[in-house]
Amino acid sequence: MSAAWDVFYRQMIPLEGYKKVLEGLGNTALIAIVGLLIGMVIGCLLATCKILPKSSFAVKLLSGFSDFYVAIFRGTPMVVQLLLIHFVLLPIMGVQIPIILEAILAFGLNSGAYVSEIMRGGILSVDIGQTEAGRALGLNYGQTMLRIVLPQAIKNVVPTLGNEFIALLKETSVVSFITVVDLTKAFQNIANSTYEYIIPYIVLALVYLVLVLAVTGVIKLIERRLRAGDRR
Amino acid sequence: MIDVKNVYKSFGKKEILKGISCSIEQGERVVIIGPSGSGKSTLLRCMNLLETPDKGEIWLDGSLITSADAALHKEFFVDGKLNKKQLKSFEREMSININLARQQMGMVFQHFNLFNNLTVMQNMTLAPVMLKVKTKAEAEERALELLDRIGLLDKKNEYPSKLSGGQKQRVAIIRALAMDPKVMLFDEPTSALDPEMVGEVLDLMKDLAKDGMTMVVVTHEMGFAREVADRVLFVNEGVIAEEAPPAEFFGNPQHPRLVQFLQKVL
Ligand SMILES: Nc1ncnc2c1ncn2[C@@H]1O[C@H](COP(=O)(O)OP(=O)(O)O)[C@@H](O)[C@H]1O
Ligand SMILES: [Mg+2]
Repeated sequence: MSAAWDVFYRQMIPLEGYKKVLEGLGNTALIAIVGLLIGMVIGCLLATCKILPKSSFAVKLLSGFSDFYVAIFRGTPMVVQLLLIHFVLLPIMGVQIPIILEAILAFGLNSGAYVSEIMRGGILSVDIGQTEAGRALGLNYGQTMLRIVLPQAIKNVVPTLGNEFIALLKETSVVSFITVVDLTKAFQNIANSTYEYIIPYIVLALVYLVLVLAVTGVIKLIERRLRAGDRR
Repeated sequence: MIDVKNVYKSFGKKEILKGISCSIEQGERVVIIGPSGSGKSTLLRCMNLLETPDKGEIWLDGSLITSADAALHKEFFVDGKLNKKQLKSFEREMSININLARQQMGMVFQHFNLFNNLTVMQNMTLAPVMLKVKTKAEAEERALELLDRIGLLDKKNEYPSKLSGGQKQRVAIIRALAMDPKVMLFDEPTSALDPEMVGEVLDLMKDLAKDGMTMVVVTHEMGFAREVADRVLFVNEGVIAEEAPPAEFFGNPQHPRLVQFLQKVL
């Protein structure tokens, strides 16, 4: 075991494998964080489309589109979406962007579907009286939504959004399919170049575990902050 | 000030308002009473269009604020055919006017509905600033003045969850006042309060009445109706069954349902 450890150490420090690991960690974090932010924007928009009063044809169309979007992105595996975007969609559109952006885009679009369902529940959990009070003061639908309902909805869904973020963080490990070097790929490279698999993969698992625990802590902190206005 | 003309409203198959007409004059205090489920809240909510009447008109200060009958207006018909484009733009304009109309009508709810995510101060300044009725400084000054008036200046940075029921309702009232409305609508403002807090809310409402505020109040507080009202309306089964100044209304009720109702509540 000690020999295996020496091999791993040599690869990491003197041969500067840690640089690749840090780069991988950065990519993993970037894809997960920006992916979630994009997902939240898309999710809020889709959820609002679903919740708007179905009075006009345009709204029904938007609501239908929202259903379609969620069905597509929840109905197919993440890896498949990633492959489709990289090998089919972007080439057909003739668009060339850095692969890291492709990964962020794919995860943002995918996460939007999940966040929209979370946000819909969150918006519906806000008492209708809050909306009525806003409208009665003369605020329009958008103003009421933005300043009154969404802040409370987001607060209500922070724990669920946190879970979505953790799931996203772990799922980013598939981006090596389109040659992005993330945390998993970095350790895989180390393992492959040394033919020592045990230690790199155990350390890889531990790194993910620590990341997830750290994120869990941060979510708890945010939750406590947001609950400052609540009765304890 | 407010004219309700032959308003009908159904929820599903159930007809709640069956052709209600009434007008509220400037400076008048009108109290609406009636059995539970008779449509009092629905009538009040039609006045500021939180509910859209199925039929009939609501006028505020001489402007029509309902568009329900817009399709029947002659000007939208060209050669006997509805000009949809013109109607749409009319309705778009209407929805802006609905928001403008609502700015003139303060509403107080049974369950307070203070914004839970905002402090007392933010509750009071959000709408006036956002709707450009006041600058931020003006809105804050007015908020402080109103908070001082109800003795809750020290609560300005608290969240609603830290207030008692009576305090919440009084803040809800001055939040509406902060928009400088022309008329205030109250929907059972004391019904969700513990008995010991009813007095403080009624006192504030009496204060407003003394200042000459136009008020429409749905309530079960008969004492308030007797003392403050210029006119009392009895809503029963979706129509106004009786309407009179309080002395006559309580002293010499005519409608048998009203006689029965008063026997029960007095
Ligand atoms: N949004 C709604 N959807 C369905 N039914 C409603 C709605 N609002 C009120 N109602 C029904 O309309 C009737 C009258 O309600 P309301 O105007 O609140 O009566 P009141 O205020 O006199 O007690 C009640 O039977 C109530 O259940
Ligand atoms: Mg009611």
